[in-house]
Amino acid sequence: MNKKIFSLLTLLMVAALLLGACGDGEETEAPEAAATEAPEVVVTEAPPAETEAPEVVVTEAPMIGEGFTACEVTDTGGIDDASFNETAWNGIVNAEADFGISSAFVESQQQTDYDVNIAGFLDTCDLIIAVGFLMDAATQASANANPDQMYAIVDVDFFDFVAFEDITLDNVKELTYRTDQAAFLAGYVAASVTETGIVGTFGGMSFGSVTIFMDGFYYGVEYYNAQNSADVQVIGWDPAAQEGLFTGNFESTDDGRAMGVTLMDEGADVILPVAGPVGLGTAAAVQEAGNAWIIGVDADFTLTAPDFADVTLTSVMKNMDASIYDVISDLLNDLFVGGLYIGTLENGGVGLAGLNDVVSADVQAELVDIIAGIIAGDIQTRP
Amino acid sequence: MASTTTPIISSEYVSPTRQRVMGFVFLGIALAILVLFAMQVEPDQLTTFKMKLPRSEVDIPNWVFSSSLALNILWVICALLGGYQLVRGFEKRTNLVLGLISGMFIFGFLTWATSGDSLNLAGLLRNTLLKAVPITLGAFSGILCERAGVVNIAIEGMMLTGAFVATVFGSLTNAWGGLIAGVLAGGVLAWVHAILSIKYKTDQIISGTVINIFSVGLTSFLSARFLAQPEYSYLNSPEDFEIYKIPILSEIPFIGPIMFERNIFVYAMFIFLFVLHFGLFFTRWGLRLRSVGEHPKAADTLGINVYRTRYMAVILGGMMAGFAGSYFTLGSVPRFDELLTGGKGFISLAAMIFGNWAPIGSLGAGLLFGFADSLKNNLALLKVAIPSEFLLMAPYIATMIVLAGVVGRGQMPAADGQPYEKE
Repeated sequence: MNKKIFSLLTLLMVAALLLGACGDGEETEAPEAAATEAPEVVVTEAPPAETEAPEVVVTEAPMIGEGFTACEVTDTGGIDDASFNETAWNGIVNAEADFGISSAFVESQQQTDYDVNIAGFLDTCDLIIAVGFLMDAATQASANANPDQMYAIVDVDFFDFVAFEDITLDNVKELTYRTDQAAFLAGYVAASVTETGIVGTFGGMSFGSVTIFMDGFYYGVEYYNAQNSADVQVIGWDPAAQEGLFTGNFESTDDGRAMGVTLMDEGADVILPVAGPVGLGTAAAVQEAGNAWIIGVDADFTLTAPDFADVTLTSVMKNMDASIYDVISDLLNDLFVGGLYIGTLENGGVGLAGLNDVVSADVQAELVDIIAGIIAGDIQTRP
Repeated sequence: MASTTTPIISSEYVSPTRQRVMGFVFLGIALAILVLFAMQVEPDQLTTFKMKLPRSEVDIPNWVFSSSLALNILWVICALLGGYQLVRGFEKRTNLVLGLISGMFIFGFLTWATSGDSLNLAGLLRNTLLKAVPITLGAFSGILCERAGVVNIAIEGMMLTGAFVATVFGSLTNAWGGLIAGVLAGGVLAWVHAILSIKYKTDQIISGTVINIFSVGLTSFLSARFLAQPEYSYLNSPEDFEIYKIPILSEIPFIGPIMFERNIFVYAMFIFLFVLHFGLFFTRWGLRLRSVGEHPKAADTLGINVYRTRYMAVILGGMMAGFAGSYFTLGSVPRFDELLTGGKGFISLAAMIFGNWAPIGSLGAGLLFGFADSLKNNLALLKVAIPSEFLLMAPYIATMIVLAGVVGRGQMPAADGQPYEKE
């Protein structure tokens, strides 16, 4: 009897892990280190020897630039979040097409996965790309312990809060983005479009790389008010108090829907959701209500979520794909230098996607001047 | 406390100690309304509750009143009720009065938070109802399983799989096809759970955990591999259920647009509530189901097939969880994203316990959790200086209080979680 239970349980487990682990079918190489430390294993009774790393999908294209592998460790929310993780992954995919490198990714299901997932890539990957602010400590620790391994991390600028000085590691590229500059433009456009005089925003969690969007959005609306003596209100974010509306996660589309509905109840008719796929729930609510608009973040929503193209006003682009592509290109050409990268309107690291037709030509023309003003430093885009 | 020997929920007797304690609780709430709210608002401030949902056709004016006047009335009523409780006592109506006073406290809180501002009360209640739907349906799933003596912590996984399968089949066929597929998917997982925990007498927690992990792995993989790829995107745009206005009822001012302009999941929740309550407590089917969860040996002696009854209950529970999962993709946002259930299945379990393993109680708990979840958003918009994390914690603190037996002891089925070994 006991044997039967065990074999049934094992079968289930192996099936679960295999399904999680198997990739394109061309090649499946689960990193050794992750095999014994995979987070899934902790809760289960299956023998460690039979398990494989969760969610590792390895793809390989037979082209030039061989022998180089770029690997992405995603934040929670999944590689296919139509926004944050996916945009970063697109940079690798583009490099794969152009240089013929190999690639792999592993999805972090929870925050405790970060260390394990990074460690799992140590032996197999030439470049480990940690996507997300929350991986700060895990990446820094790993980079210090493995000076020959190359890293890139998104949304993090290493800083030592004890010695109070900036940290620069030779083997880590810190990719940061002045998304407030692009969100500022979105705020200006939103204020020009609203009919109720109220625009809204909310975030996934209250940390810098999220709230910077909301700061810029708020300042853009305020700038519109000042320029056109209008009185458009922003609800959901208060840059002075740095407090606002948050779902507390980056996964639940149902929460995103509720946020959208709540903001529309309070009169908002343009909404900027800064919460990855959660924003798609907001888009669904906006689409159902009609007469309202959504602003995409990270990637162009009209491309990543075409179902909602008709309610997408514009998107605040954080061009992680371009900067990750550049990092890979630099590494291949021995031009890699560790340290900080700041994506701005000027260098194309951030930007605004195509505008919906509802935006007037006058506003489009004004945007050109505003962009020039921001680049020149004449316009303040955050507190 | 005396309540440990007397299950208050079903009891008519209230001990003098408990009566006195409750009297002081009522007075404490009155004092809290006075000090925390009534004394904090300016005399001339107005509270505005918007009673109309945007885009609703039933017109209803805003409800505007003086904040301080309303709060003063509230604390005086609470104080009077507390005084009466101390002197004479409400006897068996104590819990009812406790509920009433809690309601007044929440209303007082809203009045204070909205003073000098406005809040869409209709929207808040509508969100509460919608947030309660998956939680309550999940709790119904838990009730079906646990009343028959099988712990089901795999509700989350069954929801997730149900949501995924409903998305794919909803895209290929229509909303009803998706719903049926989602329900069946939940049933299949529950069948696995049933085999493991009834036939092979595996630890039910482990079996449930395995199903949860399996579901996360399977749906995340299939979602990343297929649904997220542009060439398969047609699999990820299911037809969802449209809003169905119930004639006449939806014309009722205030309540109509909130309750009777919804999709079938909301109506189904109320239908299941009635069916489950009636079925469990007033039919032979329900008596048998409960008997195998309370004392399977006695049930067996009387000729009830314990195994078959448990199989039936667990599979029905799984189908209910699949139905709850389908809500996410067919009733809320018509697309699947990884981990989109966001832990609602586990919250369902808390709601089931809070609701004392009964359908009506679970709906109450679901509404309470939904209310806390929705209220935190409104409070953030009103810029109330309470960290939203504390508000999110509130329902769980309440659950712990219930579990600790302070308000009234919950009664879990006696044979819950114990495999039955036929002799």
